[in-house]
Formats: sequence, structure tokens, C-alpha cells
Amino acid sequence: MPEKTIGTGSNDIPVIQLKHVDKHFGSLHVLKDISLSVKKGEVVVIIGPSGSGKSTLCRTINRLETIDSGEILIEGVKMPQEGKELARLRAQIGMVFQSFNLFAHKTIIDNVILGPMDVLHKSRKEAKEEAMQLLKRVGVDSQAEKVPAQLSGGQQQRVAIARSLAMHPKAILFDEPTSALDPEMIGEVLDVMTELAREGMTMLVVTHEMNFARRVASRVIFMDGGSIIEENTPDEFFSHPKSQRAQDFLNSIKDH
Amino acid sequence: MGIKELLSQYGDQYISALFTTWKLTFFAFAIAFVIGVIVTVMRISPVKPLRIFAEFYVQIFRNIPGASLLMVLVYALPYLDVLLSYFTCVLIAASLIPAAFCSEYLMAGINTIGTGQIEAARSLGLTFMQIIRRVVIPQALRSSVLPLTNLLVATMLTTALASQVPMNPRDLTGLVAHINTHAVGGVTAFLISALMYCATAVVIGQIGNRIDRKVRILR
Repeated sequence: MPEKTIGTGSNDIPVIQLKHVDKHFGSLHVLKDISLSVKKGEVVVIIGPSGSGKSTLCRTINRLETIDSGEILIEGVKMPQEGKELARLRAQIGMVFQSFNLFAHKTIIDNVILGPMDVLHKSRKEAKEEAMQLLKRVGVDSQAEKVPAQLSGGQQQRVAIARSLAMHPKAILFDEPTSALDPEMIGEVLDVMTELAREGMTMLVVTHEMNFARRVASRVIFMDGGSIIEENTPDEFFSHPKSQRAQDFLNSIKDH
Repeated sequence: MGIKELLSQYGDQYISALFTTWKLTFFAFAIAFVIGVIVTVMRISPVKPLRIFAEFYVQIFRNIPGASLLMVLVYALPYLDVLLSYFTCVLIAASLIPAAFCSEYLMAGINTIGTGQIEAARSLGLTFMQIIRRVVIPQALRSSVLPLTNLLVATMLTTALASQVPMNPRDLTGLVAHINTHAVGGVTAFLISALMYCATAVVIGQIGNRIDRKVRILR
């Protein structure tokens, strides 16, 4: 694949691009020569056994984890090391976590407007109006004045998605967004994510929800042992996995 | 001297001593709080020299007796051509030490904040200082209302250091010392001061509890 450079004016500069990324945790080689790109509007789903490095990969993209070598580019711009520039670029990439991570001392609405006010410098009024629309979109507008602990896990995760959306991100990273949820709440979060995908949001999703991957993904990436083993359309991947490891993985989850 | 005699002879002075103790307590706690917050921010900052300096501050002032610190301020500083009033010396001693404890309580409060919330703030694009201001300090403060209430009481008791220097006007403990060197007030003289300390502490405790109930973070 030819590498695109900045300033070509081309529309297909990937929103997210990783080039030969390597990372170690001590002696553990968690990411091995990872290269991937996510184009605008794509929904890339990363699956794989636990410990395969998929969450770490997700977290390196907005530099919650540092990398040892390689490059990470956001719309062709390299992620800076530290400081204001990093904060500015981070603001363009949303992130939704496994454990929701809402600000415990703030109301739901204040959770959503913090970023727009402090980072995008919107007025409280403007931020609040938009936040209410977003909360309505994810179906928790009636909870706006409550604090996170008063909401169910599924509601909290939908607020977290609204909080990301409020920043008008170029892409959203989902790091196992339904893994901490009770089974009956998984659906409501996946519905919101499916809706986002339909509306053309660029998404990178680490998940164990195979049905979601099958229905929504534009591409599935299978990781194991810190490497990308296979990359394919969901249809191809789930019906004809090429590698032995992917076949084993799919068989192991088929049983339940 | 009975309690009636004491009150009739020294009543006004007790009142003024109570106000002096309140004044010292208020200013000492305010200063301690500001220093405590600054030191805490330094302790969690990404700049190593700041962290080391702040740790050093806490270790020193958490472990130094108030009377020793006051002695240094009153007797050693003049050799450096720094001549402070007795009131200022007491105020400094009674704020530098509680500041170290204040920072310890805030650190304990910070440790209750999950790293996930910090990561969420970072991924929204907030800078270090914005995260401190908007996420870390508000939560640390709200979860350390009760320890800080105790610290306020402890600060008031620390201001009794004022009795060790010839400060004018006297504080509650200083007044007792004064009465007992000029007359035979005995335990009764101290009892009156003790009641005033206790009454103040009870009021502080009540207010603290009320604030805590109001701002406590649901988890």
C-alpha cells in the first residue's frame, strides 16, 4: 500500500494510521510491528483473546500508552510527545472506556459540557444546549441533573459516548465498551454505537461482541500475541478465517 | 481564686483572648490550606524537582514539633536580620505544620479518584492544570472535608504556641499562663479556656459534618 503524505489534498488520508508500532511492558513485547489505518467513516473492529494487546493498541492511539518505536498519525499529523500540542490532538479523538470513567463529582450534564467549555471554549449556554441534544440522542436526557453513581452501567456508558461526541471528534476509540456491563444493558450501548456507525462516525472498536462485529464492522482485525494475525471483511473473517489461530479463537467462543 | 472572681477580674481578657485564638486559627488555617493545596499539586506534578521539594516539605513540617519551629522563628531568624512580630511568628508556625497535614489529607483524597477519570479527562484534551483544577482538586477536597475539619481543630490547638512568647494581646492559653503567674487561678483558670476551646471545636465539628453531608461524592 503506497503511503500517503500530508498535503496531497487527497480525501483518503487515513483518520488514524499506525506504522510499525512496537511496545514493550518490561520484557513483555505487547505490540509487535503493528501497522493499520482507519479511513474516514470506517468502523474497524479489533478482536482477539485477552492479553493479545488489543486494548493497549487502542490506548496508544491517543497516547494513554506510549510506544517504543513506530509512528501514529492522526489525519497525517504525527502524535506529539507531551504538552499542549498533545492535548490539542487528543481532543480530536474521542475515547470510550470499559469502566465508563465519568467524573464522579459532576452531574451528567456537567460531565458532557466540561470538554466543550474548557477545551473548545464554548459558552456554558451553547455547550449545554448541544449536550442536552446529545443526551437525548443516547436516551439519557431525563437523567441530566443526576450524578453518575445514580445511573445504571448502561446509562453511564451512553453518557460517556455523549461526552465523546460533544467534542466533535474525528474518530472515537471504544475500549471494550460493554465488557463491564450486565448482559441486559449491553444491547442499549451497542444500539447507540450501531447508530453512530450508520451516521458515518469513524470508529475503532475493541470488543468481544462478535454479533456487533459481524453486523457493523467495515473491517475486522484479529490480534493475538501482540501481532495483527488477520485483517478482513467481517463476512470473510467469520465464515472463512484464514489463520489457524483465528479459527481456534472463533471455535473457542462458539461454544457459549 | 474561684470561678466568679476569675470571671469578674479577667472576663474581658478571656473574651479578647478567645478572639485572638479565633483570629490566629482562622488565618493559620487559611494559609495552611493554600500552602497545602499548592504542595499537593507539586507532589503530583510531572516535574520531578517540584515533587521532591514538596515531599521534602511534608516530611520536614509533619515531623517538627511546633515549639521547636516557633523557637527557630523567634530566636534564629533575627540573626538573619529577619525580625518578625510575635504574632507573625506564631501564625507562621501554626500554619506551616498544618499545611503538611493538609497535603497528606488531600493526597489521601486524590488516591480515591480512579486513574480512569484522569485518563478520560486527558482523552478529552484537558491539560495537566485543567485536570488538576476541574477533576482532581474538587474531588480531593470533597472527600477530605472531615479530615480537614479535624485539621482546623488541631490548628486551633496549635495556636496555643502563642503562650510561649510574650504576645500581646494574649491567646487563651497565654492568658491562663499570665493569670497563674500573677494570681492563683489554678485549674479553674484553665477550665475557662478549655471550655472556650471545646465550644469552638464543637461548632467547627458540626459545620464540618454538615458540609461533608452536602458535598460528599456518591460512588
